[in-house]
Amino acid sequence: MQIFSWMIKVFFVGLLMLLAAGCTVTTREVGSDEKVIYDEGYHFSDKKAIVDAMVTSLLSKHPLLRTTDRPVLIIYGIANRTSEHISTSAMTDDMRQALLTSGRVRFVNKIQRENIERENSYQYAGNVAAETRIQKARQIGAKYMLTGTLRSMEKKQPRQFRLKKKTLMYYSLNMELTDIQTGLIEWADSAEVVREASKPFMGW
Amino acid sequence: MMIFLQQAGFRLLRRPGFRFFTLIFLLFFLSGCAGRLNKASQYYYAGQSQQALDLLEKGDRFGKRNQLLFLMEKGLVFHYLGEYQESVNSLLEAARLIEQFEVTSLSRQAGSLVTNEWLTRYKGEYSERLWAHSYLMMSYLLLGQYDDALVEAKQALASLDKQPEALTTDYFTRGLIALCFANLAEDNDAYLVYRKLADDSLNPALVAADIVRHASRLGMADEVEKYQPFLPRRLSEGGAELVLFVANGRIPEKRPGNVFFPPSIRFAFPYYSNTETPPVRVEILPYQWSSLPVLSSDLGDVARSALEARKMRIVTKEALRVATKEAISQSVGNKNDAAAEAIIRAALFLLEEPDTRSWQILPGRLTLLRIPLPPGQHQLQVRLSELGQIDQIIELPEVQLRQGQRVFYSVRL
Repeated sequence: MQIFSWMIKVFFVGLLMLLAAGCTVTTREVGSDEKVIYDEGYHFSDKKAIVDAMVTSLLSKHPLLRTTDRPVLIIYGIANRTSEHISTSAMTDDMRQALLTSGRVRFVNKIQRENIERENSYQYAGNVAAETRIQKARQIGAKYMLTGTLRSMEKKQPRQFRLKKKTLMYYSLNMELTDIQTGLIEWADSAEVVREASKPFMGW
Repeated sequence: MMIFLQQAGFRLLRRPGFRFFTLIFLLFFLSGCAGRLNKASQYYYAGQSQQALDLLEKGDRFGKRNQLLFLMEKGLVFHYLGEYQESVNSLLEAARLIEQFEVTSLSRQAGSLVTNEWLTRYKGEYSERLWAHSYLMMSYLLLGQYDDALVEAKQALASLDKQPEALTTDYFTRGLIALCFANLAEDNDAYLVYRKLADDSLNPALVAADIVRHASRLGMADEVEKYQPFLPRRLSEGGAELVLFVANGRIPEKRPGNVFFPPSIRFAFPYYSNTETPPVRVEILPYQWSSLPVLSSDLGDVARSALEARKMRIVTKEALRVATKEAISQSVGNKNDAAAEAIIRAALFLLEEPDTRSWQILPGRLTLLRIPLPPGQHQLQVRLSELGQIDQIIELPEVQLRQGQRVFYSVRL
């Protein structure tokens, strides 16, 4: 009888220790190249894969393949047409960085246009020495415009008796490089991510 | 010492009186938690929005059972204070929580079988889940974040698809979804939503102008021809649009309903009262401009249909709870005397409280008002009147409209 009581005590102590271990906060470093996926949704590793694929395609195909004059590009953003709040500017920021690092293209800073204008006005307001002022009308116009659309499609398993529900998620990013002078699309490509995940109906 | 305390504890637990008091305490503990939400609603309707917010910021006293309601109420108060980004933050958190609720918690469900639904986390009625997206759409449009408004439109469509019959009369939200698509020139999606709305509303004139516009862009001559006769007689020509989200009245209260069977069986269920919020009458000043046909939803009506759609689930769970409680009472009666059984029966009877938690600060009616205007400078007034109420004139700020531009305003009467 005493052994039985002792075993029960050990069991409860073990259970408490297990619960305590489960409640502790844990952290670990995750490498930016590491693929960490919790569900079928969009993850940072998807962004990296999509950006890499697009940059490689853009630099290895016409019109940027054989350019030597470092053409000037402007990014007009990626339209988010998915059913999730995804920051597409994070994608274009990474693309711009990778393209600049390649040394083959240059970018107009569209986001800072208002600030450039403000600084311009300040310099000509009489506070800045004439010889150090920037010259007006010396900005460089963009030759190409980089735009894109991120779309998603979701397919859920139909209702039936089961313990888990599967979801299939499809993301596609279509990007285009348009010659601003001619209006012609000079380059277009797409990258896709397809993922299936299952979620339990019940939990503790 | 330890052994003495353990023995004393077990002796205490074995006493029916102690169990009774524990159950009564639990009853008060559970139902008392909605107090802050009720008080916040009272503050809001007394015009003290800041006090309501202060209370809502505090959240639940114990646990997170009402977390969703706190977030939704907060989102709504922020929206009508014009703090749209704050409203978005609260409602996005609410939407994330709703998504988590897709997984049913066995522990809470088991607990609620011997107590009541108040023990479970409030998951929101189907209608309330949809309206979280409606308010997110409105706030994003008001913030000029049209891509995000479209994301919410797609999520609202997913909510509608889950309960198409229960939510079909929410014409306001459906019109808003179509507007989010149209705003980003997603003609095909906008057309599909308007077309379904025309079929369901039984009045094609409500959306004929939109169907004709999108169908002609998509080259669907037969559809243009079909809906042309339903176009409003007086349709302002304009390349721009002023959009008003008008809220009036107050959503009906969720009330407790009870059915009693001897000796101590009590079926408890929630229901919405049958009050209706009358439509609001709108006039645009100067009179030369007229609005498109309005899309309006009586939120009480939609809430009642949504609750009706959940009826079978409520009845099944209630029957299971009644059976569990009856089994507990009989078991206590078999092991103890009749007095102990009577006490347990009384306690379980009192514990049977219907879950009347609801999103209280919602209006009774939402109306989508669109006024086509030509590009240029406009100074408009909107005269809004409710049945039996004094007219309210809203002076809109002067706007400079570009071709194709939409300007959004949200007002609550």
